[in-house]
Amino acid sequence: MEPDASIETSSMIRVAVLPIAGIPPLLFRDYAAMLLRHHTVSLNSISSFYTEHQKSPFANQPWESGSLRFKFILGGSPPSPWEDFQSNRKILAVIGICHCPSSPDLRSVANQFAAACKSYSSSLVQRCFAFCPGDSQLEEESNKGSNLVLFPPADRQTQEFHLQTMVQDIAASLLMEFEKWVLQAESGGTIFKTPLDSQASLSSEEVIKAKKRRLGRAQKTIGDYCLLAGSPVDANAHYSTALELTRLTADFFWYAGAMEGSVCALLVDHMGQKDPVLEDEVKYRYNSVILHYRKSFIQDNAQRVSPLSFELEATLKLARFLCRRELAKEVVELLTAAADGATSLIDASDKLVVYVEIARLFGALGYHRKAAFFSRQVAQLYLQQDNKLAATSAMQVLAMTTKAYRVQSRASSEPASDAGQSYADGGKMHHHSIVSLFESQWSTLQMVVLREILLSAVRAGDPLAAWSAAARLLRSYYPLITPAGQNGLASALANAAERLPLGTRCGDPALPFVRLHSFPLHSSQIDIVKRNPAREDWWVGSAPSGPFIYTPFSKGEPTHNNKQELTWVVGEPVQVLVELANPCGFEVMVESIYLSVQSRNLDAFPVSVSLPPNSSKVITLSGIPTKDGPVSIPGCIVHCFGVITEHFFKDVDNLLIGATQGLVLSDPFRSCGAAKLKNAHVPNISVVPPLPLLVSHIVGGDGSVMLYEGEIRDVWISLANAGTVPVQEAHISLSGKNQDCVVSVASDTLKSALPLKPGAEVTICVTLKAWQLGVMDADAAASKGVPGTSGKQVKDGSSPMLLIHYAGPTTNPGKLQMGSVPAPGRRLVIPLNICVLQGLSFVKARLLSMEIPAHIGETYTKLVKSRSDGTAQENGSERSDRFMKIDPYRGSWGLRFLELELSNPTDVVFETSVSVEIENPINKESLSDRTCAEFGDPKTRIDRDYTARVLIPLEHFKLPVLDGSFLTKGSQMDGITGGRSSSFSEKNIKAELNASIKNLISRIKVRWQSGRNSSGELDIKDAIQAALQASVMDVLLPDPLTFGFRLAKSSSNNSANLNPPKQADMQVYCASGGSIIAHDMTPMEVLVRNNTRETIKINLSVTCKDVAGENCIEGDKATVLWEGVLTGIIMEIPPLQEIRHIFSLYFLIPGEYTMSAAAVIDDANEVLRARARTNSSDEPIFCRGPPFHVRVNGTA
Amino acid sequence: MIVCLAVVGHQNNPLYIQSFTEADDALKLHHMVHCSVDVIDERVDNPKKSGPTINETFLGLLCPTENYKVYGYLTNTKVKFILVTTDLDVRDADMRTFFRRFHAAYVDAVSNPFHVPGKKITSKTFAERVATIVKSFGLTTTG
Repeated sequence: MEPDASIETSSMIRVAVLPIAGIPPLLFRDYAAMLLRHHTVSLNSISSFYTEHQKSPFANQPWESGSLRFKFILGGSPPSPWEDFQSNRKILAVIGICHCPSSPDLRSVANQFAAACKSYSSSLVQRCFAFCPGDSQLEEESNKGSNLVLFPPADRQTQEFHLQTMVQDIAASLLMEFEKWVLQAESGGTIFKTPLDSQASLSSEEVIKAKKRRLGRAQKTIGDYCLLAGSPVDANAHYSTALELTRLTADFFWYAGAMEGSVCALLVDHMGQKDPVLEDEVKYRYNSVILHYRKSFIQDNAQRVSPLSFELEATLKLARFLCRRELAKEVVELLTAAADGATSLIDASDKLVVYVEIARLFGALGYHRKAAFFSRQVAQLYLQQDNKLAATSAMQVLAMTTKAYRVQSRASSEPASDAGQSYADGGKMHHHSIVSLFESQWSTLQMVVLREILLSAVRAGDPLAAWSAAARLLRSYYPLITPAGQNGLASALANAAERLPLGTRCGDPALPFVRLHSFPLHSSQIDIVKRNPAREDWWVGSAPSGPFIYTPFSKGEPTHNNKQELTWVVGEPVQVLVELANPCGFEVMVESIYLSVQSRNLDAFPVSVSLPPNSSKVITLSGIPTKDGPVSIPGCIVHCFGVITEHFFKDVDNLLIGATQGLVLSDPFRSCGAAKLKNAHVPNISVVPPLPLLVSHIVGGDGSVMLYEGEIRDVWISLANAGTVPVQEAHISLSGKNQDCVVSVASDTLKSALPLKPGAEVTICVTLKAWQLGVMDADAAASKGVPGTSGKQVKDGSSPMLLIHYAGPTTNPGKLQMGSVPAPGRRLVIPLNICVLQGLSFVKARLLSMEIPAHIGETYTKLVKSRSDGTAQENGSERSDRFMKIDPYRGSWGLRFLELELSNPTDVVFETSVSVEIENPINKESLSDRTCAEFGDPKTRIDRDYTARVLIPLEHFKLPVLDGSFLTKGSQMDGITGGRSSSFSEKNIKAELNASIKNLISRIKVRWQSGRNSSGELDIKDAIQAALQASVMDVLLPDPLTFGFRLAKSSSNNSANLNPPKQADMQVYCASGGSIIAHDMTPMEVLVRNNTRETIKINLSVTCKDVAGENCIEGDKATVLWEGVLTGIIMEIPPLQEIRHIFSLYFLIPGEYTMSAAAVIDDANEVLRARARTNSSDEPIFCRGPPFHVRVNGTA
Repeated sequence: MIVCLAVVGHQNNPLYIQSFTEADDALKLHHMVHCSVDVIDERVDNPKKSGPTINETFLGLLCPTENYKVYGYLTNTKVKFILVTTDLDVRDADMRTFFRRFHAAYVDAVSNPFHVPGKKITSKTFAERVATIVKSFGLTTTG
C-alpha cells in the first residue's frame, strides 16, 4: 500500500533519486527539486535520443501526443514483493545526485553510485548527476564510460536545460529498455509470482496451474510496460488478452490487476478528459476490480498475506477519481468502506496509509471533521510505534486536525493581518471568533486532541510544541481538569521550558488571563488641557473645574469627544492597569509582564508578579512614551513558565463575552473572585511631544496645614518645572469648596518668574484664612471636652484647590508650519489641604446695660477741658462720640455692652483683642491711635480650658453711623426718608435696622493670637447679631427726647454749638471750672432735644433730690431754692431742635444732689407710642431723663 | 439500540450529548457525532441536491459505519438532532417517529423561560424524558 495512489499511478515510471557521496541535504533537496519538475517527458522530445534497434513492440505509440511519466522517489525505496504484479512498483531507473566540490574524487563517486545501484536490481537505467565539477574534474578522463554525468558550472537556466536534456536521454534509454524487455517477455517463459501464490515448493498441481496462468499474467505485465512506455492503445490490447486469459484460469487477482491497468490505459488515452460516460465506465470497471480483489482472498494464507490492501487501494483510487462535492455520497461510501476494511489490515503501515488517504480525501471533499477524525486515527497509529520520528509525524498530523477541532495554535492559525488589527475596534467580536467559541464546546474531543499533541510532542522531543499544547489545554480547559491534572500540565510547561532556549516565544498564551482594567487618567498634577489658540484664556471651559467630571451644564460635544482620547507625553511615565487571573490550583509566577506596543513608541517596564492559586490581581504596568504619534496597546507580553507569549486583551474580552453567553466553560476572572468589570473603555491614545511639567510642593511639608478656626496664615508653595520645555504662560485660579478661605495668591510672583526654564523653581505665597467648623463639629468637640484633639480631620474635598494652567511655547520646536495645533497646555491642581482645628470658641453673647451717672469733680473738669480744646473744630456728632467712652468720671446712662463669652478648648493660650474699624476716613486718623489704645492693647488672655469674657461697648459702634440721616430715620422709626410713606411698618424698620446692624457688626473684629505665628480673627458676626436682635431698638435708637442740664453761666460761651443728641448724655459744663457753691444763685438750663421729625408738645418738669433722696424742690423740707417754673413747663419743641429752659437753683446746703428731667408728651403720634411700647392709645407717654449729679460746695 | 443522542446547535455547537451505553465509549460517540455534523453541513449547504425533500426535517442515514448507523434530523431553526444506533436495520418510519417525539421534548425544554438559547441544555426533566423516549424506541423496534 502506498500513499498518493491514484488510477494513473500504474502509468508512472518509478525513479529512485539518491544522494551520493555526502552531498549536503539542502543541496540535494535543491537539485532534486530541479529534477522533480521533469515528471512528464513528452515522447516528441525524446525522439532524437531514441534509436529503434529492432521493431518496436509498441506499435501504436502516440509519438506526437504521448508522454512518459516519472515518479521520482527521493532516497529510493526497498523493493516491493508485488513488483511482478504491478510493474510500476519496480524502480526502473536510478538517478544519483552528487555535489562535486564536496566530493572531489569522481572515481569514488562513481563507485559509490554503482554500489547504491546494486540494491535496485530492477533498474534498467542508472545515471549519476554530478553538479558543479571543478576544472580538473571536468578534464579527468577516468569518468568516461561510467554513468557519471557532469553538469558544468553555469547559471541556473542553463543547468535546468542541461538537466532536461539528461532526463530526456534517460527517458529514451528507458523506452528502449522497455522494448527490449517486452520482446524478451513475449518470447521467454518468465514465471510471474506474487506473494499470494504459495511460496512453498511448488507441487505438481501448482506448477500446472502456474503454467496455465503464465500467459495471462505475461500479457498483463506486457500491458503494464506498454502503459509505462506511454502507449495506452497497446496496453489496452494486452490487457484485454490478459483479462480473457485470467478469467479463464480464474486468476482473479491478476484479473483485477489487468482490469486496473485497462482503466488506467483508458484514462491515459483520454488524456485526463472526464465525461460522465467515461466516469461511469471507470466506476463500473473499478467496482469489478474491487470485487475481484475481494474474490482473490484465499483463506489459506490470510495470516501471511492478503489482497485486502489492493482492494482498499483500488477503493481509494476510485474515491480519489470521483472525489468531487457532487459525488460526495458515493465517495463517502467508498471511504467508509475503506475505513471499515482498514481495521482488518495486518500491516500497520498499510493501515496508516489507508487512514492518511481517507483523511485527505475527506478533507478534499470538505468534510473537515471526518478528515480530522481520521487524521487522529493516523496519529494514534504513529503513536503506537514507539519511536521519535513516528511521534513527530503524529504531532504533525495532529497539528493538522487542530483546525477542525478549533484548538489550533495561534501561531499557525492567525494570519498577521488579524494580529495587526488595532484593539480599538475590539468592541465587536469577529465572526470567526464567535464560531470558534461555539465550536469550542466540543471540549471532550478538543481536550483529547490537545492531550495527544502534548504526548506526541513530548515523545518527539519538541518542547515548543509541547509547551504550546499544554498552554492551550490549560488555558481553555482548566475548569475540566482536576487540580492534579492542572499541576501535571504546569510541570509539563516547566519541563518543556527547560529544554527551550532562554527567551523563546510562543504564539499560544498560557496563564495567567490578562485583561485590561483601566487607563488611569492623568493625575491632577499633570493633567493635559487642550489649548485653544484663538483664546487668550485657553483653559476656560476646557477642563472640568469642579469635582464633577461631567457637568450637565457644560457643552456636551467637546467633552464627549475628549472622553475617548488620552494624551501621553513623551518622556513622562504612563500607567495602565491590567487585571491578571489565575483560576488554576497552583501558583503562577509571572517572571515579567509588560505592555506590548505595536506602534513601538513606548518603552514598557516589566513587572514580576506571583499569583496564588485561584486569585486575581490588578497590577499597574508602566512605560515611557518615546515618540509622538498614536499608540496602540493590543495586549501584554508575558514571560511565564519560561516562555514569552503575547496575551491579547481582545481574546480575553471575547472569552468573557462568550462566558456571559454561556459559550465558554467559565469566566476565569469571576471564578477567581474578581469584581465584575465593565467593559474597559479603550481610549485613542496619542503621544505628544514634551510639555512643561510643573511640580509643586508646599514649603514646610506637603501635609495638611493645621489652622485654628479663623486663623490667617501664609503658605508658601514652591513650583518647579520638571519638564524639558520652559513654561511660557501660567494662570492661577481657585476651585473646590471653601474658596473664600484663600485670601490672596501671589500670582504676580509666578508671572514675573516666567518663562520658567526646565529645572527652575519659583515660590509663591498664598494667604489662607481658616473657615469656621460646622456647628456639629464644634459641638462634638465641645462635648468631648478633650483639649487639643478637637480639631477633627476635615473631610476630603472641603479644602480649596489651586489650579494653575500653564503651557510651553505655542509652536512646537521643529514644527513651525502654520495652522498646526498648538502644543496642549497643562493644569496643575494643588490641593490646599487645610485642616481646620477648633480654636477659640464662642460660648455666648450677652447684652449688658450699665448706668454710670455723670458727676462733676476735678478730674472730670480737666478731662472735659482738654477735650473741648482738642475738638474745637469738630462737629457735634464727632464730639458726642467722645461721650461714648467708658470713663468712670464721665459717666454714661443706659450704656450697653456686648459681653462675649469665649472659651478655649484647645491646648494653647489665646490672646484676644477687640478692634473697631471706623468707617469715616476723617475719623480714622484721629481715632485710630485711640482705638488701638483702648481696645487693642488690653488683650484678653484666655488660657487653655478656660473661658473669658470680652466686653464690646455697643455705644461705640452705634454712634459713628448715627449721622444725621440715620438719626432722623431712627428717631422717626418709620423710614420717612427716601420718600417712603409715613405709614408705620415695623417690618420695614426691622429690615433696615438689620442692615445697619450688619454694617455695624462687620466693623467689629475680635482678633486673636496664639503663640508666635498663629493669629486670626473670630467669626462672631452671627453671635453678635443674635444677641442684639432682641434689644436692637434699645441699642440703636435714641429716645424721642433727650434731656441735658448745664450751668447757664457757661452757656454764653458754647452752648449754641453744643448739640448733645443723646438721651443718655447729660453734662453740666462749668465754663469757669469752678464748682457750684451753696448760698449762691446758680443759673442752670435744661436742654430738651426733639429727636423726631414732628413737633412735640411736652410738659416738662425738673426734679432735684438731695443725698437722702428727698425732693428738694417741693415739699416742706425744701433745701433748694428755685427760680422759674420747675413743673408743668409747657414746651413745644420743633423737630430735631433743642429748646433751652433756663432756671436757677439756689442751694442752701452743700452736698450731693441729683437732678433729673422728665416730660409728659402730649398728643403723641404712633411713632412715639411704638417707641414707648404703649398698650393703649390714651396712655400718657412719659419720658424721663437720666439723673445728674450736682456737687454743691460749701462756702469757704 | 440507541447508543447516543445529540442536539447540535445552529453554530454546530453541542447543546446536548448523551450516550446510553455502559461501555466507556463516550469519546468515540462524541467523535461520531462530531463527524456527522460534516454530512449535515453538506446537506444544508447544498439544498438543491435534496430537491424534493427541501422541507423534510428527517435527514435519514448520515453515515453507516462498521457497527453503527447515524441518523440525522434538522429542525427549521437549524438545530440538528443526531442519533447513533447499533441497530443495523431500522425502518425509516420508526426513526421519523422517534425524532418527532424527541423534537417535541426539545421544544419543551427550550421553551423553558430560564433556558438561554444557545446554551447547553441542562434540564433534568429533558434528560429523563429523553431517556424514556430512547427506552421506548428500543421496545418498539425489538417488540
